[in-house]
Amino acid sequence: MRRSLGVIMCVALLLGGLGLAYGGGSTSAARSPQAQAQAQEQEIRIAGQFGLVYAPLMVAQKHKIFEKYGLKPVWKEYGSGAAVREALVSGEVDVGFMGIPPFLIGWDKGCPWKAAVGFCVVPVALVTNNPSIKNLKDFKPGDKIALPSPGSVQHILLAMQAERELGSATAFEKHIVAMPHPDAAAALISKKGIVAHFTTPPYIFEELSHPGMHLVVDDVTCFGQPFSFNVGVATTRFHDGNPVAYACFVMAISEAMAWINTNKKEAAALLAPEFGLTMEKTYRYLTWPGMDYTTAPYGLMGFADFMQKAGYIKNVPRSLSDIAWENLVAFVGDRAGEPSPIQQLQFRR
Amino acid sequence: MIRLRRLVTANVRTLRQALFVTTLAGLWELAARAGRLPALLLPPFSDVAVALATETASGEILGRLGFSLALVGVGLGLAVLSAVLVTAAAMSARIVSEWVQTLMAILHPLPGIAVLPIVILWLGTGYRSIAAVIWFAAVWPLVVNLHTGLRSVPATQIEVGRNLGLRGLHLVAEVLIPGAFPHILSGMRVAWARAWQALVAAEMVFGASGGEGGLGWFIYKRRFFMEIPGVFAGMIVIVLVGLIVERALFDSVEARTVRRWGMTQE
Repeated sequence: MRRSLGVIMCVALLLGGLGLAYGGGSTSAARSPQAQAQAQEQEIRIAGQFGLVYAPLMVAQKHKIFEKYGLKPVWKEYGSGAAVREALVSGEVDVGFMGIPPFLIGWDKGCPWKAAVGFCVVPVALVTNNPSIKNLKDFKPGDKIALPSPGSVQHILLAMQAERELGSATAFEKHIVAMPHPDAAAALISKKGIVAHFTTPPYIFEELSHPGMHLVVDDVTCFGQPFSFNVGVATTRFHDGNPVAYACFVMAISEAMAWINTNKKEAAALLAPEFGLTMEKTYRYLTWPGMDYTTAPYGLMGFADFMQKAGYIKNVPRSLSDIAWENLVAFVGDRAGEPSPIQQLQFRR
Repeated sequence: MIRLRRLVTANVRTLRQALFVTTLAGLWELAARAGRLPALLLPPFSDVAVALATETASGEILGRLGFSLALVGVGLGLAVLSAVLVTAAAMSARIVSEWVQTLMAILHPLPGIAVLPIVILWLGTGYRSIAAVIWFAAVWPLVVNLHTGLRSVPATQIEVGRNLGLRGLHLVAEVLIPGAFPHILSGMRVAWARAWQALVAAEMVFGASGGEGGLGWFIYKRRFFMEIPGVFAGMIVIVLVGLIVERALFDSVEARTVRRWGMTQE
């Protein structure tokens, strides 16, 4: 009995240590006045993912745009929106980029954060290798649809279209397979295991360039109008604790994006080696109809409304200010009377 | 009263363990409720229990569990079958035995999950790939133990069997298998543990889908919807199944065979 008491005490010590370690971590992360004074060298830890979507982050990195604003960026790359979300929750990073659905799932569960910038509007589409599939009703029970993960933008778009065409948002829950984009693209092209892939550039372009592939439905049809494929999210701790660094972050992203939008040729040349593509191909992808790097948010509320009705989240934001920081709230505005066009862009049509 | 006391003394180890686990759960609850750790990182144990109850009531966990067990059954069954065939071949010719030993040396250290990318390439995604990974994880410990077990049966015992007139399959069934049983049993234990781990790992890494996913997929999905109590609930079910198979199945088989025959030191 004495021995088991000893073991229990060991475990208690261990758990206590864990609590202390965590608590200690958060107190040391709260900026001391000294650190505030050194705002010139303010560190910012940024979580991104790989792909064409993240071109502005790559440009910012190459051109040292964050450094220009006195920030010291630490770049971290993750494999999915959920992984970015986990990095933000665990305090590993200050800001991160993810799709609106993963962001809202976190907000619904109480993650202390809001959207800081829109990031890009990107063509997303469901591509199939089966010529007889013309719409969602043509999928047979065993047909598998690959998408990056449950709860991803692609998953929610599929649910939106399923509700529209079949009357049930969850009609395809048994069809979905979680696969990273490169694997799914390979499987779709070689017709191994999956019949369709809900994907983004450059995989859409690659897949559609093979014979026998066609597009079943695109994002704008699912959502009703264009939406931000990705948003930049900042934790409350970073936003409240470092208002200057937060403002610099927003400005640095804006500058990187403005540079891409005004120098697409140069951007293609700069980024081609990063993607392992030729300059021509990179340029073609950057200028594909529908690609739009913009800090304007699109569709934040539309996703929330749908996800709450379909049961993916429990809470729905009362207004944009529940899920977006001041700069976005001011950007979208609040027109008296009829909502303004940019306000309407936050919802589905 | 005496009966009750006897029951208590017989199960005092189990009781102590139950007390220990309850204490752990209590400490977990306290640590989570203390408020230093955000509930997103460590949900209180009670939330996990609620998640476990609701997911069980909705049939979700049982369905996933059934799928996982069926998959392990297929993978493990195939592994046993192929291990028996391989060992039989190895026992019949010295050169085959050498080949098998070389192959074992090469492939045994490779974790089942490491072959997943190749398996997916060959078999596509879905349950066949996962069954193949389970097969791979389980077959080598089985072969190793069957092989050493059969070889460790003393020659005198085999001779005695022969003198009693046992031949062929009779000799195998009456002398060789009982003689090798401690090894066979420990091979099965290792194979089961590796198969169960491989299943969960394979489902979580890749190749699981909504229609045909087990407990690994359950955890994977809960993670992506940030339902952390659900993630813990899935983990608890995995642990429970492991414990039940270990305790209820292997321990009772061991008590009825190897221990009764006086083949273990314990």
